[in-house]
Amino acid sequence: MSEIENKGRRDFLSIAGKAGLTTLVAQAVGINLGVVDVVRAQTGKRGVEPFRFAIISDAHLYSFDNHKFDQQLIDAVNKVNNMTPKPDFVLFGGDVAQNGTEDQLAKGKEILSKLEMPMKIIPGEHDWYLDMGAAWRGLFGDETWSFDHKGVHFIGMNSILVNDFWTEPGLTDLERMTVMEMLESPIPGPWGVHDKQLEWLAQDVRDLAPDTPVVIFTHSPLWDYYPRWNFQTSDAPEIREILSKFDNVMSYHGHVHQTLYNRIGNMSSVAALSTSWPWPYPPVALAYPETQMNRADPSIATDGQGVQVIDLSGEFEGIVQYKPFEDSLTPFMQDGFKV
Amino acid sequence: MRKSISKFGGVLAVPAVLAAIVAAGPSSARAPYTEEELQQQMDSLVESVSLGYDLWHGSKPEMTTNGLACGNCHPDTAASNPQTFPKYMPMFGKVVPFRDMVNWCIETPQLGQALDVNSPEMTAMEAYAFKLHRGLPIEPGLASRQTSSIPVESGKGFPHVPTGLGVDK
Ligand code: HEC
Ligand SMILES: [Fe+2]
Ligand SMILES: [Fe+2]
Repeated sequence: MSEIENKGRRDFLSIAGKAGLTTLVAQAVGINLGVVDVVRAQTGKRGVEPFRFAIISDAHLYSFDNHKFDQQLIDAVNKVNNMTPKPDFVLFGGDVAQNGTEDQLAKGKEILSKLEMPMKIIPGEHDWYLDMGAAWRGLFGDETWSFDHKGVHFIGMNSILVNDFWTEPGLTDLERMTVMEMLESPIPGPWGVHDKQLEWLAQDVRDLAPDTPVVIFTHSPLWDYYPRWNFQTSDAPEIREILSKFDNVMSYHGHVHQTLYNRIGNMSSVAALSTSWPWPYPPVALAYPETQMNRADPSIATDGQGVQVIDLSGEFEGIVQYKPFEDSLTPFMQDGFKV
Repeated sequence: MRKSISKFGGVLAVPAVLAAIVAAGPSSARAPYTEEELQQQMDSLVESVSLGYDLWHGSKPEMTTNGLACGNCHPDTAASNPQTFPKYMPMFGKVVPFRDMVNWCIETPQLGQALDVNSPEMTAMEAYAFKLHRGLPIEPGLASRQTSSIPVESGKGFPHVPTGLGVDK
């Protein structure tokens, strides 16, 4: 245990030790101090031009008017719009809606349209299982995508696909949705991206050189964290295998509603905070316990929630900064950490 | 059971009155529970746990006005730590039993109507939470960790068809 912890600390605390990152750290600190114009690193050897992007995730909007979660998502949008420098774009990590209804999804789209930069989005289980993604697709488009930005290849995939558990017992659409809404539901079993998307992924990265910087974005973590709550993606090993040719892959995900980091092989994995409510850490040891945030105070409706911003350097190293609504980060997490 | 009581009565100098009660005990005690009676007790417990499961997952609309259910924030009753109660809770400023905190979470994050603390429903709320925390040491006073471990295997859990449809259609 202490060995893991030490290894974690060494990896994390060597932020300033790496020559290529010094500028980036200075930049991050400068941002905290409100200094806007800081020296930008030169374009890196892989052609990465330093930039930042932000993540908002898990809004879980209800149909009620003026629900507290509406305001929490609006706060997140404002927080991102007010970042200096501004992120180039925003990724939304799924679970816009709580019950997958069209009005909830449309409300989410309306609030997110106030972002002053482009947004890319992938679905969560709460968005999908009322109509099998019909409303979501109508509002947000394709759930499987990739694009290149300043030398980095970004991939988004739908990781919440389960095998059909509803046809045989004759469940209604609402019953199917209700089963999926419950985190600890024993019925649906583990979810994943399934074969079609695996084939798409293999095709998508086939011609990319191994030193291409890759960021992959899914709702659920691409590692086996706590399968009982679907804090996993069943075909993550296949995804990691397809991406194993790359020097360095960053995976960002939603769904767990908490701060979390892991590293497996060439892939580092970072979780997003939610804008709706925090989830307790499941009863398993964390590989990097220092990334666990403080216990949320239930008296404060926005404690344990927030957004995150990632600054990528020319060397394709990232500083991840969680930006909680309240002061819920441990001292270790407060200045961000390197991935 | 009976044998050990009379043996202690003989070895220890039990006061006469108490000794008389102990001696009288066996003849007035009821017969051991039959398998059937034990089964009935277990069935009652399962029924209560089962009601608790539904309530934790939103089956009673009065418990929420914003659509939230306990299960939103406490999957598998995680972080409710029933085995650490009674304990001091800052929002009360004193030591409170588990049921007071159940009602606090109904009234605060869920803006709902508190349960009668003596109702079968409150008992059921406890029955489900205690069932999932069975085997953990009882440590009233502090919850030093956010989440206590929950003895359920992946993909299983308390076998019951969920009815937690919530109130948000
Ligand atoms: C919006 C989220 C939310 C909802 C809904 C919610 N809670 Fe909580 N509850 C919390 C948080 C956050 C804590 C503090 C958790 C922690 O200490 O890790 C908490 C704490 C508790 C505690 C005290 C745990 C301890 O060790 O101090 C109990 C008991 C509890 N909740 C029961 C319930 C019950 C029962 C319900 C449903 C009626 C419920 N909660 C609904 C967020 C919620
Ligand atoms: Fe979520
Ligand atoms: Fe989710």
